[in-house]
Amino acid sequence: MSITSARGVAFASAVAVIALASQAQAQQNNNPLPPGDGRDIVSVACSQCHYLGTIAKIRDGAAGWRVYVSNMVLRGAQLTPAEVDKVVNYLATNLGPGINLPPPRPVALPDGSGKQLVETRCALCHDLERVAAVKRKKQDWTPIVANMAAWGAPVTADEAKTITNYLAANFGD
Amino acid sequence: MKQLIKDYLDQGLSRRQLVSGLSAFGMSTVAAKAVAQNLAPLGPGAGQAASPPQAPSAVREIEGNGGKLFVEQLKSAGVEYIFFNPSTGDHPIFDALVDLPEIKIIKGIQEGAVTAMADGYARASGRTGIVVVANIGLPNAMTQMVNTFKDQIPMLVAVASVGQNELGRDQWQEVDHHELMTEPITKWFWQAQSTEAMAETTRRALKFASTPPCGPVFLSLPTNTLEQHAKTQVWERSKFDVPMRIRPDKEDVEKAARMLIEAKNPLLSVGDEITWCRGEKELIELAELLGAPVAGEAGSLGYWSKPFPTRHPLYIGTVLRTMRFPGKPDVLLNLGNRWGENASPGTKLISIRLDPTSLAREAPVDLAMVADLKLAMADLSAAIRSMATASLLKDIANKRAERARAYAAQMQQEREAIAHALTDSTPISMERLGLELEKNLDRDTCYVADVDSGKTMDPLMAFGGGDKQYFGTGPNVLGWGMAAGFGVKLARPDVPVVSVVGDGSFLFSGPQPLWSMARYKAPVTVIVLNNHSYNNERNRIWNGAGRQFEAARDMTCYNGSPDVDFAKTAEAFGVEGETVKEPASLAGAFSRAKAAMVEGRPYLLDIHIKREGLGAVSDWYPPYSIADLRTRKV
Repeated sequence: MSITSARGVAFASAVAVIALASQAQAQQNNNPLPPGDGRDIVSVACSQCHYLGTIAKIRDGAAGWRVYVSNMVLRGAQLTPAEVDKVVNYLATNLGPGINLPPPRPVALPDGSGKQLVETRCALCHDLERVAAVKRKKQDWTPIVANMAAWGAPVTADEAKTITNYLAANFGD
Repeated sequence: MKQLIKDYLDQGLSRRQLVSGLSAFGMSTVAAKAVAQNLAPLGPGAGQAASPPQAPSAVREIEGNGGKLFVEQLKSAGVEYIFFNPSTGDHPIFDALVDLPEIKIIKGIQEGAVTAMADGYARASGRTGIVVVANIGLPNAMTQMVNTFKDQIPMLVAVASVGQNELGRDQWQEVDHHELMTEPITKWFWQAQSTEAMAETTRRALKFASTPPCGPVFLSLPTNTLEQHAKTQVWERSKFDVPMRIRPDKEDVEKAARMLIEAKNPLLSVGDEITWCRGEKELIELAELLGAPVAGEAGSLGYWSKPFPTRHPLYIGTVLRTMRFPGKPDVLLNLGNRWGENASPGTKLISIRLDPTSLAREAPVDLAMVADLKLAMADLSAAIRSMATASLLKDIANKRAERARAYAAQMQQEREAIAHALTDSTPISMERLGLELEKNLDRDTCYVADVDSGKTMDPLMAFGGGDKQYFGTGPNVLGWGMAAGFGVKLARPDVPVVSVVGDGSFLFSGPQPLWSMARYKAPVTVIVLNNHSYNNERNRIWNGAGRQFEAARDMTCYNGSPDVDFAKTAEAFGVEGETVKEPASLAGAFSRAKAAMVEGRPYLLDIHIKREGLGAVSDWYPPYSIADLRTRKV
């Protein structure tokens, strides 16, 4: 359930790649972002340096999106604090957990307590292929799940514990 | 253009043809004639005329083998250091150096490190880096020559090659015409033809390397030309130096000045050529005269210096294709920025460049000038002052600067607020480290950066003006930073030098630069940003939202497993170091590093840094095991 592997700022580093600018422009002309208040700022400010398509494929809560956007400001995005708030609100509203997700690839998870939670909560933000990507020790799964909950995954503390135990049991190292 | 100049010097072109050819490359007639004038002493006919009388100290007759003639010419040119690794064939060079203490030799233990040391020395000193490496190790040197070439840094790379009588016999370490390998990444390459021509060939190489736009040159020195004896002249640098400090055309400067005065929303885009021309002071003066916002480097690639103070109230950060602030400029003045010719339709673009070959190369330019940036900016400021009263200019500047100052101050506060909110994480966040570096590094520190994702720290630190001086590479061919830090320290022994490298960079260069730091007691602090990953590389790849992104399979960029202990590696090379995993440990670690530098020792900090971005949490990699392939336990 490496939601944080889908998090972060892929587009961050792309700031460096000037050659992407013309492609970003082309993509802006075919804007993949859903309509909503703030879309114009995202389209203009973010497309200076990177594709918009990746944004459209990520789902995250407000806290998670703020991490992305803050990192972008450090990398040169021209967004004032008020605009950062507006951008985060747009992203969390229109690309939040479970909103307009593309059809997932079928992934058969092993049975066990927590399977349903993983299928219904984790898959709100990312494909379940990510869950099965790597085996980890329980002490490594714990902060990953906690981090996702902090960033916006809709899970209670008990549910997070159940998910962690399920992952450690079935995808443990 | 280098081919054009080569043809001229090889007597295939007349002076008129040279001027015409340079003009075709976009150089003004004035500039082209200046180049031709400067090349004349070495051009067609130069050797046929009787040499004018010279002061004895300027032109000396030297007798000796080719190695001696090579180093005597270097000495006369003012060369202080040769960066080298040993090979059998170049022994005449080092034999001669036994009795020539004016030139010191700096040993590296791999050609890439040797080249990067010379590169760092050249960037920090403004002088030509001299490299003599093993013939067969030339491809190692070439990896770092890419940085040197792309950033137009002067360097002479020489190898002792197979003797002329052995050429073409498929000798053990011979490859046919190996000098051709260097063609795409040198201004000029040559194989010495005779011992008699050794000094002249060396002069020519030095001149090409240091004539702006500068760059690396390559000399192949067949062993017989190094071993045989001859008598020839060596010249002082002043007799063959080509300063190329070209003033821009006066009428063009006046046009530009008028456009900038009348502009409603001008923007300055600035780049490395200003740094190389030592034009920082003139840039500040011009920007303040105009009250125009200044935008610098774009992202993490494509620049090696920060020519404008990053805490100046007019500095607005990265130059972007479309600037939300200050909005679309009506006049964009590009000053020495290779990536700055970036105007949208409707923007008038003035571009002043030292390098005519990349001027107007990708975008239409309304007013192009080839000039030394320092002189051009001084002329431009003078022209602006001559066209309007001081009070009118002040009014214009104040009006423009008000918005820029407000924006720059707001963004600075915002960035610091973001960073302060991320200071307590473990592994240590890049933001926390940036704040700590800003707090702990001395203001006159030379900051040598060979990182990619680590550049998110830059906006949290002050560079330029009276603050830290920034050194990096435009192409970011990793493996440069530690060795370059050594070279910077050699050039600037009296200021602190910090070399900041990613774990990726360290692994590219290997620990070899530490060997030279230990041997020569180079007090450099090496900071390894260890996130066990080519972090930005992964981000760029996953940004394409392909299968690696979908399936969270980082096929290429995870560097952990094994987790290299860089502090232990340093210890093995005689450099003290420590691992830092907690943010609270940073201040103490910096203090110990500073104490080591005061004592004249290098010190390494292996700082465990949080990975960022897409796939940051992933420590998966394709799990192959050669041990599992075995059918016998052998």
